[in-house]
Amino acid sequence: MAETEVRKIIHVDMDAFYASVEQRDDPALRGQPVAVGGRQRGVVMAASYEARKFGVRSAMPSVTAKRLCPELIFVKPRFDVYKEVSRQIREIFLDYTPLVEPLSLDEAYLDVTTNLKGMPLASEIAREIRARILERTGLTASAGISYNKFLAKLASDHRKPDGQTVIPPEKGPAFVEGLPVGRFHGVGPKTAEKMNRLGIHTGADLKAQPLEFLEQYFGRSGTYYYAIARGHDERRVVPNRPRKSVGSETTFMEDLDRPAAVEEGVASVLGDVWAYCERTGILGRTVTVKIKYADFRIVTRSRTLEESVDSREVLERTARELVRTIFPLEKKVRLLGVSLHNLHQREERRVPPQMTLAL
Amino acid sequence: MKLTIERAALLKALAHVQSVVERRNTIPILSNVLITAQKGRLALAATDMDLAITESVEASASKTGSTTAPAHTLYEIVRKLPDGSQVELEAASDGGSLVIRAGRSRFTLQCLPPADFPAMTEGDLPHRFQLPATDLKAIIDRTRFAISNEETRYYLNGIYFHAATSGATQVLRGVATDGHRLARVEVPLPKGAGEIPGVIVPRKTVGEVRKLLDESDGSVDVELSDTRIRFSSGNITLVSKLIDGTFPDYERVIPTGNDKVLNVPCKEFASAVDRVSTISTEKSRAIKLAVAKGVVTLSATSPDAGSATEEIEVEYKDTALEIGFNSRYLLDITEQIAGSEARFLMADAGSPTLVRDGADESALYVLMPMRV
Repeated sequence: MAETEVRKIIHVDMDAFYASVEQRDDPALRGQPVAVGGRQRGVVMAASYEARKFGVRSAMPSVTAKRLCPELIFVKPRFDVYKEVSRQIREIFLDYTPLVEPLSLDEAYLDVTTNLKGMPLASEIAREIRARILERTGLTASAGISYNKFLAKLASDHRKPDGQTVIPPEKGPAFVEGLPVGRFHGVGPKTAEKMNRLGIHTGADLKAQPLEFLEQYFGRSGTYYYAIARGHDERRVVPNRPRKSVGSETTFMEDLDRPAAVEEGVASVLGDVWAYCERTGILGRTVTVKIKYADFRIVTRSRTLEESVDSREVLERTARELVRTIFPLEKKVRLLGVSLHNLHQREERRVPPQMTLAL
Repeated sequence: MKLTIERAALLKALAHVQSVVERRNTIPILSNVLITAQKGRLALAATDMDLAITESVEASASKTGSTTAPAHTLYEIVRKLPDGSQVELEAASDGGSLVIRAGRSRFTLQCLPPADFPAMTEGDLPHRFQLPATDLKAIIDRTRFAISNEETRYYLNGIYFHAATSGATQVLRGVATDGHRLARVEVPLPKGAGEIPGVIVPRKTVGEVRKLLDESDGSVDVELSDTRIRFSSGNITLVSKLIDGTFPDYERVIPTGNDKVLNVPCKEFASAVDRVSTISTEKSRAIKLAVAKGVVTLSATSPDAGSATEEIEVEYKDTALEIGFNSRYLLDITEQIAGSEARFLMADAGSPTLVRDGADESALYVLMPMRV
């Protein structure tokens, strides 16, 4: 078997990012349970550690969060500020390696196997990066260091906040075995539930399953689960990963109960999506409409067209047709989203010169 | 049915009603005008099932009754009759034809039974108000150019009327947009219009109502429900279906923070735009405005035709800016501005620009730039 070089991957993850930025900029919020997101409707986008003690988590409906923690202070998100901080930390990363793959504004993978500073120890690099982030932004970050992305991400979560963890090759399999499957990146709540039903609770349980079994139950993802259960993950760190989708969604002030209102809702949400397409010249071929009912159940409807969606009219017609498939409504609708997938850049000449109002 | 009427009076009334009749009809009766002879009056009616018009004029009827005849043909006949002639309309006793006599001319037209003529249901029209014809004219004239033709966005294929509060005053607003530009015009809220639902009046109805306003200086009676609207002025009544859809929340595309203020002499500016746009391609109609302190340079280039530039003195004190617009859209807006000055409020080359009449706050236009 060919000996491949052991990679050194760092996963850097800002601690309670949005909430920490808000606490940094407003001293009155420090030491307080803070949630970034809408107070009335919508969800918590980020929760401060003080809020997490009450069980408040990101993606939790704001009303639930308020019930868990009546003292919770809601703050409106300031994406401009988060983007600026994100840019600052990315600058720091790029001092060490060009192989930086951002996952979102507040986390990124770095491949430092060969690095610009010639530093031999990845854990030293991680420590230095975290110190520089604190110095530059006043915010703390956690880091995970390992020989692949999967383990690096697991590791960064291990000593949060303001901590770092190394998983060396010899400890990888053992580390995975002891964890509940729900903690694995790529295993969402639905999959975790399904695995639990199949008697798979921990990494060790997962490792005990033959590949054929996993493929039978989980399709293509089965191969990935088989690999990660053994601490294997060959995915590369890809800098500037191209955007895979563009979408927008809105939680309505009041749940929608009329089909006409739902259709209009879809039409209004897609204005933002199309505005983005126009601004960037990005086109997509697959249109997805997401519907969240009042009981938080989510359904999606997708259609892939023969040709890219190259006008707002096509996008709107498709989105309307898709949402009509859920009529008659079984429940009131809380949230609607529209997104485009299968993206590609519009050819330069074909960018329509006339821009449209975001109606 | 038999009546006599002066040619000019008949022509004028027929001109109104025939314009509602579609040129191509799959239902034959919809090509016809309903002609009813009453005591001392002639009533004409036409419909396309979405819009119905009725008009009555003085006539001397010797035999009351009704029939229907092809609207466009009848109109053409009356149009070609000599001015000042008396026209006699007589329905054959079997109802199968209409005879038109004037001087030595005689025409016979095939008829369809009046019982087949579709009546448009109006239902209950709970909201009723009276509007000065000049106000309705102002709304229609200054917004209709922005009505969308996209059938997929049917809810933009008309003017959206609704009651609103502007500052401290109550107003009736008309709004139209095609997604590239938006026009919003306000007139004082007529008594009785405070509780009206927001309604979208279809493009064709807007056009027909506007024609009638040319001959009306007084006021227009408006009655409406969620689904129907009726306009009455003098002897003419128009009933129309409303567009069944929700007009988008247009307020969100009206910029409020645009701080780059450009004041241009409107007529001069429009003429310059018109001249320079001669060069821009038929398809894009794009022209570029290079805005600097005290001067705007308009320019257009086309790979086929060549290029053009023109400078115009303006009032502008902010940082320089280059922004492109569809010249047709610019002219559509400047045409609506009655004052000597047009005010452009801009943010940047990729955001909506607000245009206002320097002398009149009642109208507002939003225009999305072009990439140039």
